[in-house]
Amino acid sequence: MRAAQRGFRDMEALEIRDEYGDGTAGVSQNTLQLIAFSIDEQIYGVEITTVREIRAWNGATPLPNTREYVRGVINLRGTIVPIFDLRARFGDGQTQPTKNHVVVVMSVGDKWIGILVDAVSDILTVSRDDIHNVPEGNSIDTELLNGIVTHESRMVGLIDLHAVVAGAKPDA
Amino acid sequence: MSDLDEFKATYFDECSELLLELEEQFMAIQDGDRDADRLNAVFRAIHSIKGGGGAFGFDALVRFAHSFETLLDYVRDGRVELTEEVVVLCIRSVDLVADFVNAARTGEVLPAEYGATEKASFDALARGEAAETGGDAPGATDDLDEEFDIDFTPVSVDLDTDTPLSAAAPSAGGATRWLIDFAPYPTLYERANDPLLLFRELALLGRTTVTAKLEALPDLAGFDPFGVYCSWSIELASDKASEDAIREVFEFVDGDCAIAVTRLEALVEDEPASGDDLPSFAELAEAAKAERKFVPTGEPDAEPAVRIAPAISLAASAPAPGAAAESAGAAPRDAEDGTGAGKVPGMQSIRVDLDKVDRVVNMVGELVITQSMLTQQMDDAIRDRYQELVRGIEVLAQTTRGLQDAVMAIRAQPVKSVFSRLPRLVRELAGKTGKKIRLETIGENTEIDKTVIEQLSDPLTHMVRNSADHGIETSEERLARGKPETGTIRLSAEQAGGNILIVVEDDGQGIDRDRVLDLARERGVVGPDQQLTDEQIDNLIFAPGFSTASEVSDISGRGVGMDVVLSNIKKIGGSVHVRSWTGKGTRMTLRLPLTLAVLDVMLVRVAGSPYVVPLSSIVETIQNSRADFGHMPSGGKVLQVRGEYVQVVDLARRFELGSEQDDADRFVVLCEAEGNSKIALVVDDIIGQQQVVIKSLEENFERIDGIAGGTILGDGNVALIVDVQSLKTSNAHQNAA
Repeated sequence: MRAAQRGFRDMEALEIRDEYGDGTAGVSQNTLQLIAFSIDEQIYGVEITTVREIRAWNGATPLPNTREYVRGVINLRGTIVPIFDLRARFGDGQTQPTKNHVVVVMSVGDKWIGILVDAVSDILTVSRDDIHNVPEGNSIDTELLNGIVTHESRMVGLIDLHAVVAGAKPDA
Repeated sequence: MSDLDEFKATYFDECSELLLELEEQFMAIQDGDRDADRLNAVFRAIHSIKGGGGAFGFDALVRFAHSFETLLDYVRDGRVELTEEVVVLCIRSVDLVADFVNAARTGEVLPAEYGATEKASFDALARGEAAETGGDAPGATDDLDEEFDIDFTPVSVDLDTDTPLSAAAPSAGGATRWLIDFAPYPTLYERANDPLLLFRELALLGRTTVTAKLEALPDLAGFDPFGVYCSWSIELASDKASEDAIREVFEFVDGDCAIAVTRLEALVEDEPASGDDLPSFAELAEAAKAERKFVPTGEPDAEPAVRIAPAISLAASAPAPGAAAESAGAAPRDAEDGTGAGKVPGMQSIRVDLDKVDRVVNMVGELVITQSMLTQQMDDAIRDRYQELVRGIEVLAQTTRGLQDAVMAIRAQPVKSVFSRLPRLVRELAGKTGKKIRLETIGENTEIDKTVIEQLSDPLTHMVRNSADHGIETSEERLARGKPETGTIRLSAEQAGGNILIVVEDDGQGIDRDRVLDLARERGVVGPDQQLTDEQIDNLIFAPGFSTASEVSDISGRGVGMDVVLSNIKKIGGSVHVRSWTGKGTRMTLRLPLTLAVLDVMLVRVAGSPYVVPLSSIVETIQNSRADFGHMPSGGKVLQVRGEYVQVVDLARRFELGSEQDDADRFVVLCEAEGNSKIALVVDDIIGQQQVVIKSLEENFERIDGIAGGTILGDGNVALIVDVQSLKTSNAHQNAA
């Protein structure tokens, strides 16, 4: 009896939410919201729920004996957070960062990391059905991307954050 | 439901505390301290565990605790003699109670016969004694039978066991009268002591009657205003004062007065209750009521009130034995309050969730950083212009430092909490190996930050295990070597400067250096031609994968253990050192930081980035241009300092960072690593000293070789903490400068 009542109330709540029908309510199981950022001209995205903060590049303390794509660590309100240079991770050499470069801080598992990108461009809503597999061929692509999605006829690469973080030490 | 869970959690918290106390008390009892207070304390502890257990329906626990309690009760009123065997049985039983409590907590079901042997021993001991007394006091036998036949219901039996003892125990001690003659010398007053304070102190021990002796008072003509003419005699009636306790009161004025303490006859005696003549409840209640008349009202601190308080509360709540059962729930609690009156009223504490404390510690850490950032922003122009602001910031700096100390003190804990787990371990090890081992602990009230304490348990366990298993010999071997049959492991803790030293020492056979060296060679830990000093060989036992036990034993010697000790201790910024004397014993010393939260460091620059070196490991700093370097065939450098050659590590090269600094302008930081070995670090610049809050790199990243962690500087940037020890031990060719 009580369960039925509760179910009923939930349905009401859903209806109310739909009344606002501004598109955000449509974020359900089948769609995905992405933070899109760019490196050179290419757009990449990560799921918006993993992003904690976006901040301007303000230097980092380099970490010794790490791979070149580990740019160092920054102080995020008292916590030390490592910064990964996504361009360098892709093997295109270290970014020469300016004040206009951006660090996207996000959580991967129970850790917080930042990735250094050229710019953050947009928040995208895409359908899960539109996610394509990464074509076999280059191991860097298949390793670092979870998939590819098309948004307004542009290709957006979905970054696999776990892969970005893995193997940061030369001996690992 | 959640309420009940909460109560349960509190109960288990209390149980752990009570078990700790039990352990402690029994250790003292085993060492020959048969003070009645100790017996009362263990009885209370077991009783509380049982009482709470009954409320939650932990039947197995309650049954066992009940038998235990009964035995203790008989011991307390002298019906069962506290022999060595009984003490050993009790100590083992405490372990069992701990197991029962633990089982209750985890919901694990212990086998039905768990603890049955011990329980049978309790009953046998209690019954054996009961049979004897049965002859002269038939009433007593009934009383006992009732206790053992009854199918346990917590309430009704409770009072049975409680009653004789609450009334009998205090009388067993009896109040004693002491006469104290106290004649101060002039020096006592010159040192600004006041006899009144001493008398007040004495009054805390019992009831005092102070008489001033004025015979020496001269007439007015001969009176020296600064002379001392008055002395006192004090009569003290107390059941807890010993001569030592009385003398302790006067310890402060030792040498500044003449003092004589004499024991007079016992004050009040012979209540009907005594060991071999058990009174009935009614008699007891009457006796208690009768005594109540003599209690001065409105003087709760006075000695007689304390002494018979349990009896009063009992009489009040249990007018007749028949009605006693119903009110039993209240009665024991009152009784406890009464007997617990020895507790210092000033000691008040609250339970606080650790998370809350940690949050405060973290925030204070941030505050310290912000404050030092503010201080750094002040240049001379600001100082001249805004004097008030500058003064404010200076006060803020002081307050912040004070706040930091205060917060760290909250988190500090006595090492007792770790030490107390070890007696049981040693007992079990002794049982398994058939050796006779004694554990001595010293300085268990030394306080260390909780975060350090947490990391201490495993290493200490391994070290004590190692001592018991490898160090101490079997009884036969010991006797053959002319040593006492029982081996001793001594555990001590003390504070030495900014460090805590924890020493595990045994009087066993010492480290078998030949075997250690052979094994190390065999396993490639040491090169075939490498010559090692005795000390270096001793420290090989901490090498990973090293175990010297001739046969792998059940206890230690699986080849893991001692290297775990080293890595755990290193992780918290400590060091381990071992010294051994063949045939005489081994001493392992742990050096630990007082706290993990703040570190005094020297700030240096390497390739444009800030690094910090813990100040505790720095011996001296030298300008590169003045340093005396020698070149090695490998291309590496050594530093000659006071006739010693020290390995040189260029941090910029070691960390694969380019340095543009001219070599002559750089600095050498001479550091001391473990075991007095030194290492010289070359850095670009020395910036200064400061205190930093240690932050973990591993929290969001991973461990980096040569780096112990990170910290946040006043300007908000991250500086890395140099791990001197790991630079010293890491691969030699990596270090080649």
